[in-house]
Amino acid sequence: MDRLIYTAMSGMTDSMNRQRVIASNMANAQTVGFRADMIASTPVTLKGPALEARAMSDGEVRSADMTPGTVSATGNPLDIAMQGTDMMAVQANDGTEVYTRRGDLSVSPTGVLTNGDGLPVMGNGGPITVPVDAKLKIGPDGTILAVDPTNPNLQPSVVDKIKIASTAGSQIAKGLDGQFRVVGGGILPADDNAQVSVAALEGSNVSASQVMVDMLQAQRLFDIRTKLLSTAKDMDQSGTSLLRQSAGS
Amino acid sequence: MSASALQVARTGLDAQDTRMRVISNNLANVNTTAFKRDRANFATLTYQDMRVAGQQNTSQNNYATGLNLGTGVQIQGTSRQEEQGTLDTTGNAYDLAIQGDGYFQVLLPTGQFAYTRAGNFSLSSQGEIQTSDGYPIQPAITIPQGSTSVTIGSDGTVSAIPPAGGNAVQVGQITMATFPNAQGLQSIGGNMLQETTASGTAQIGTPGVQGVGTIKQGALETSNVNIVTELVDMIECQRAYEINSKMISSVDDMLKNANQTL
Repeated sequence: MDRLIYTAMSGMTDSMNRQRVIASNMANAQTVGFRADMIASTPVTLKGPALEARAMSDGEVRSADMTPGTVSATGNPLDIAMQGTDMMAVQANDGTEVYTRRGDLSVSPTGVLTNGDGLPVMGNGGPITVPVDAKLKIGPDGTILAVDPTNPNLQPSVVDKIKIASTAGSQIAKGLDGQFRVVGGGILPADDNAQVSVAALEGSNVSASQVMVDMLQAQRLFDIRTKLLSTAKDMDQSGTSLLRQSAGS
Repeated sequence: MSASALQVARTGLDAQDTRMRVISNNLANVNTTAFKRDRANFATLTYQDMRVAGQQNTSQNNYATGLNLGTGVQIQGTSRQEEQGTLDTTGNAYDLAIQGDGYFQVLLPTGQFAYTRAGNFSLSSQGEIQTSDGYPIQPAITIPQGSTSVTIGSDGTVSAIPPAGGNAVQVGQITMATFPNAQGLQSIGGNMLQETTASGTAQIGTPGVQGVGTIKQGALETSNVNIVTELVDMIECQRAYEINSKMISSVDDMLKNANQTL
């Protein structure tokens, strides 16, 4: 039996994985600050003494598509949208500093400022804690101002400044929790000139029409690869019947 | 399993379905006094590690990148959008609107407190100020029978002219509750909210003092649902649902094809 079927099968598996990535992107078309995953397939040629005609297909999620999503105003004073390639530093569940574009902030009962994923937002020196009874305002540079409820006319006091990190020149990749980390470890420097849009949120950067096209393409490719398998089967069958005929005569 | 693209797309359908429910609840409450619209928050489900970056490919090579496949999306929760609704003048003496922060405190039949911004109050047969469901406001305020010209000041002072006539006298004081994290309050229906660990404990204050909102008599706070926004969200949600269902049929076609061809 020909090894063609294994090559075709690797292609089918690849198409299925591709569909899965597309499905996951599609499902996250409304997740705040979501970055679409990009899958890339590479032919893996089997090296050996034989003819190098077998190139298995192998897919991998290379990186995330970092195109900005659409920013829309929400009117909520604790919603922020980052600009350019900047990302907000948050503390992951394992305690490390990770990066996200998700800026729907809220205050936990203990006064910790968290984003929509429930991760504490990092300030100048670790997670930001705010006075629980204060009204919060966020400045365009990420500074958090607290208005004392007992003296609303006083100048608001600066609590901390959200760490907005510059990703320029650093390689970042999405981890298993969907948060971005510096490849090889380490933390990003804070961008002192960073600006955020307050009372606005950045949507997911998944484009519905692009996703549709990708999906159809993956489906058709899968169909073609199935066809290859069936062709291999036909060839194999005709070969076997030839043998049978010669044996019978 | 290779069909997991189906499962991933299903999480998308589920999430859009839930979001549609939130939108329809917002729309249904477009005329509910002091209703605050909810926003559905989406969150990425955890990624599945198919191949770790740096894993050995052959004895000489390592994979430069990994294969981390997303497993879909979930609705993480809803958050109440606390923007002030517009004030609608009704002229009714017992209609109270809150301008700014705070909630009226009422006593439920269970003995627990509930909090509301819906100030469409009325008098009980005993002259007590109560909600339309008959829950008395706390601390209880009783208007003596036969009183005239009941006025409620912006600071919550309730005064009335006694049945015998003469000058208006103070008959009570409405206080309001504020919360460290008002978004953590739990909706229990009937325009009522209840305290939770997430909201923190109620802090009782006088209207107009220390950041507590003021009371406007003869007006009601309308719902802060904006019909146009909800309709746009609804269309967006519907389209997203359609694309996700398209994905299901696409993957189904792939499997069908494999089944029939092979």
